[in-house]
Order: sequence, then C-alpha cells, then structure tokens
Amino acid sequence: MNPPSIGLLIEITARTLAVCLPALAISLAVGLPIGIAIGGRRFAGRVPLVSLINTGMGAPPVVVGLLVYFALERNGPFSELKWLYTNQAMVLAQVVIALPLVVGITLAAVAALDEDWELQVRTLGVPKRWRMWLLLREIRLGLLAAVITALGGILSEVGAVMAVGGNLEGETRVLTTSILMYTQMGELEIALGLAAVLVGLMLVLAGLLTAVQQSGRT
Amino acid sequence: MSGATVLSVSDLRVELHSRRGSFALTADALELNAREALVILGPNGSGKSTLVRTLAGLERPASGRVASVATGPVTMVFQRPAPLAGSVAHNVRVAFLGKKLSGSERRARVVEALQRFKIDHLAEHRAATLSGGELRRLALSRAFALRPAVLLLDEPFAALDADGQAALSLDLRRAISDTGVAVAMVTHDLRRAMLLADRIAVLINGRLVQVGRRDDVLERPSTPEIAQVVGMTNLVQGVVGGDRRGDLATVEVDDQHRVAAHTECAAGTRVWVGIRPEHLKLDVGRGDVDPIGKGVVREIINDGVSVSIGVDWAGSELRTHLMAGRGLARTLAVGAEVSLSANPEHVHLIPVCSD
Repeated sequence: MNPPSIGLLIEITARTLAVCLPALAISLAVGLPIGIAIGGRRFAGRVPLVSLINTGMGAPPVVVGLLVYFALERNGPFSELKWLYTNQAMVLAQVVIALPLVVGITLAAVAALDEDWELQVRTLGVPKRWRMWLLLREIRLGLLAAVITALGGILSEVGAVMAVGGNLEGETRVLTTSILMYTQMGELEIALGLAAVLVGLMLVLAGLLTAVQQSGRT
Repeated sequence: MSGATVLSVSDLRVELHSRRGSFALTADALELNAREALVILGPNGSGKSTLVRTLAGLERPASGRVASVATGPVTMVFQRPAPLAGSVAHNVRVAFLGKKLSGSERRARVVEALQRFKIDHLAEHRAATLSGGELRRLALSRAFALRPAVLLLDEPFAALDADGQAALSLDLRRAISDTGVAVAMVTHDLRRAMLLADRIAVLINGRLVQVGRRDDVLERPSTPEIAQVVGMTNLVQGVVGGDRRGDLATVEVDDQHRVAAHTECAAGTRVWVGIRPEHLKLDVGRGDVDPIGKGVVREIINDGVSVSIGVDWAGSELRTHLMAGRGLARTLAVGAEVSLSANPEHVHLIPVCSD
C-alpha cells in the first residue's frame, strides 16, 4: 500500500482539527457554566450529580461511541438527523466525552475557592458581570487544565469516532482512525508517521495553552 | 459624635438550617447611626456573624426587616478575608469594578487606602503571599477605598497575635475617626471593643439582649450572663439590707462581707453584685475607703504588662488587675491577706429574678 500523500495528510489533519476544535468549543461553552453553577452552590442532589460527572470523566470512549451510535442509527431516537458516519456524529461523540471533563475540572476549581469568595466580592458592590470575570480570572489555572484535558481526550480518542464516523476515506477519516487502520494493515511506518503528526499537534496546542496559563501567573 | 440612623433592624428573625442543626437569631430593634462604632459582643455561637451578615444583606430574614438609608456604599470585611488572584493593588482596584471613577481617582484611592493601613510598600506583591495580618490590612484597605457610608466588620482581629491586634486596632480606630464611617463590628475581644465602641450590642444564644452606650452596657449589664460577656466577671449573690441612706444600701453577701451600692431595690431583695475587675481595689493594710472585707490571694498571673490577681472572698473568687512592676504588683504573694474595696458608684446590682 502506498503511503498517504502530503495532500491527504493535510486533509486528514485538517479534518481532525475540524472535528476536534468545534467539539472542544461546544464542550467549553456548555461545560463551563454548568461547572461554575455546580461548583459554587450547595443543593439537594449535588453529591449524586457530582458523582455522575466524575463517572462521566472516566467513561470509556468506545462505550460513549456505542451510545451515540444507537442514538443516531436508523432506529435510534435521532435518526432523523442523518448524522451517522458524518463529521457531526464525531463532533457529538467527542462532546459527550469532553463535557464531563470540562464540567468536573471546572466545578473542582470553583469549589476550591474560599466559601465566602463570592460573598466577599458581592459586598464590594461589584456588578454581576464583573464578578463572573473575576471568577474566571480566579480559576483560570483550573480552566486551562480543563481545556488541556478536554483537548487531549478529544484529540487522542479513537473508539467513539470509529463507531460513529466509520473511518470513511475522504469523509470521516481522522488521524486516530488512520493510525489504527494502518496499524491493522501492518503499515507501521505510516502509522508511526501519522502518530508523530498527532503528537506534534497535541504538543503545539498544549504548549500554546500552557504558555497562556503560565503568563497569567503574577 | 454620632448622627442620623443609617441602618436599622426591627423585629428581625433569621433562621439558618444545616445538617448540623438549626439556629435562629432574633433582634427586636437595633440601629446603627452615622459616625458611630457599634460593637456586637457575645460568646461563640451567639449569632454575631449571622447578625452582621444579615446587615450586609447576605442572609435573608425569615421575618422583620433591615432598612438602610445610607447615602454611600455598605461593605463588609470578613473574618477570613480571601485574597484575589493578582497583586495587592489589584485586590484594592477590584472594589472599583463597575463604578464610574477616573483612572487618576482610582490610583489615588488605591494609594491612600494602602497607606492608611501601612501596606503601600506591598502594592505590587502577590496578595496570596501576604501574612494573615497583612491580608486583614488589605481587606480593610479595599473596604475603605470604597469610601463606604457603613462598614461591617466580622472579627477583624481574629487569629492575629497580640501585637498585630493592638497595631491594627489603632490603625482601624484612626481610619474610622478620619473618615467618619459608621461601623458595626463583631468581636468577642473585649479590649478591642472597649477601644473602638461608641455603643455595644450583646447577643446571647441568638437573642439581642442589650444595646446601649458603651459605658452603660459595660457598667450596667441587665443580666449576669451579659455581665460575663462584657467583662463584669466578679459576680456574687447577696441580699439588700435594711440600712440605707437615700439610694445607698448595704448588700449582705454573708455575715462578714458587705458591699455598699446604689439601688432602688427594696430590703430583702436577692441580687447579683457585680464589680468590674478594674474597679476592685486591693490593699494589704486597713483597706481603702468603701471596704468590702478581707480576702486571700489565690492566684497571680503576670503577663509583663498587667497582673491579674484572683482573691478568695466570701467563698467566691474575685479578680482584679494591677499594672505590672509597680506597687503591690511587685510585692504581693499567693496566700497574702488583702483588704478589698469598691466604690459604690462602680458596684452594679442585678435582681436575681432577671437571670
């Protein structure tokens, strides 16, 4: 088998980013407010809810992929969407994987603040929108940890995207599914090359986030 | 000089429920006036912090109301101030978020506030690296930077060493005096209360039991429990005798011990006799004027500044303070017989039925 051309490699890498980055953005947009809300409040049922989130943080991706598959397949509740074996299905699966990570790490960061933190800021007469800005600033190290963890989880995930994406050439093939495919075919050099690209991608993104994280330390 | 009422409480009831149980705070009436310092005293768990948090609007009353007519900000400094991420100066600037102030005004206020509490040299340090005392100074700086009309303080001296408490209380007193802010301060430290208070409110078991001018509350507590809270620790029971000149009567504690006191109580009334330690006089000779009998020194505690002396008197231990290194404090020994005296002006009687 011929190794993938540079064009194909770029296409696979671009598709990987096209799937991972929206999944990360959606997970953050949904997960941060939920994490902040749960982390900063005490309410009935909080402990089982946090326990559920913690379980979600460790959920096997292939099981998540299977559940998303059942939801999207032709007899599933969301079959009308016709997302199975599309990029949207892969984004959905990755959101389901990353969301508990974002929520769990964010709520832990908020819960670690002094219990009077919000009240202390409130008694200074700081308006609500500024209080939220201060809170995000206060937990920024935890937030960046959430972003890095979620990104790592999404970028390296293979079981779920294989289940709902199908690794279709030119359509849903991404770096992780390509690596798996070439490994199964015995094309280990190609698999290693793709793995190097994947690791490089993770290194660049994590490096950028770490730089932001460390520059915020005063 | 205090002014118009800026914060008032009427028929207040606050209920707190947690896994550890329920707690209720009640206060019939309480007012905080402009340019005055109201100190809220009480034992641990009496509801002091709950009251001040309610005044700050952080606890919602189950009934009654807290009314504020303050023309400026109402702010609060917590028992454990939490530093925000960033520099000390940033922590003060946070108070200006969402407020219309020019950049130069903000900078001037930050400098003024940090100088007021003597931490201007720490302006660019990370707030998280401050010591406990510095953190309190930062929290007070931030509160004063707001130029508040009302400042609520929850145990501002807690967990500080004696020197730290003394220095901070003096700076706080100066800041209150300079700005004229109305202050309601929770503490269980009587010395700080006496240093700062214009008026004192006493809470016991979740009830506001006495409010009044500082000296009135300190000298004339309404119950023995309040007497203990405000430092009138010398309390013995007696009976008002029949001999009296005007309102000056003699209270018989036992056959050998009598105390002269001003009272309206009728002869035969059973009373608590309260004398503050600083008003109980000691003499190894015949005794001062207004003698109340002899006692035996049982304990001498010298902390280098003052000497606390416990004296057995009529089967009770009375306590008095002397200045260390001077007069009797240098010569007195445990077991010595001493004469005790108390000016009737400083002897407070509480009818036993009031407890």
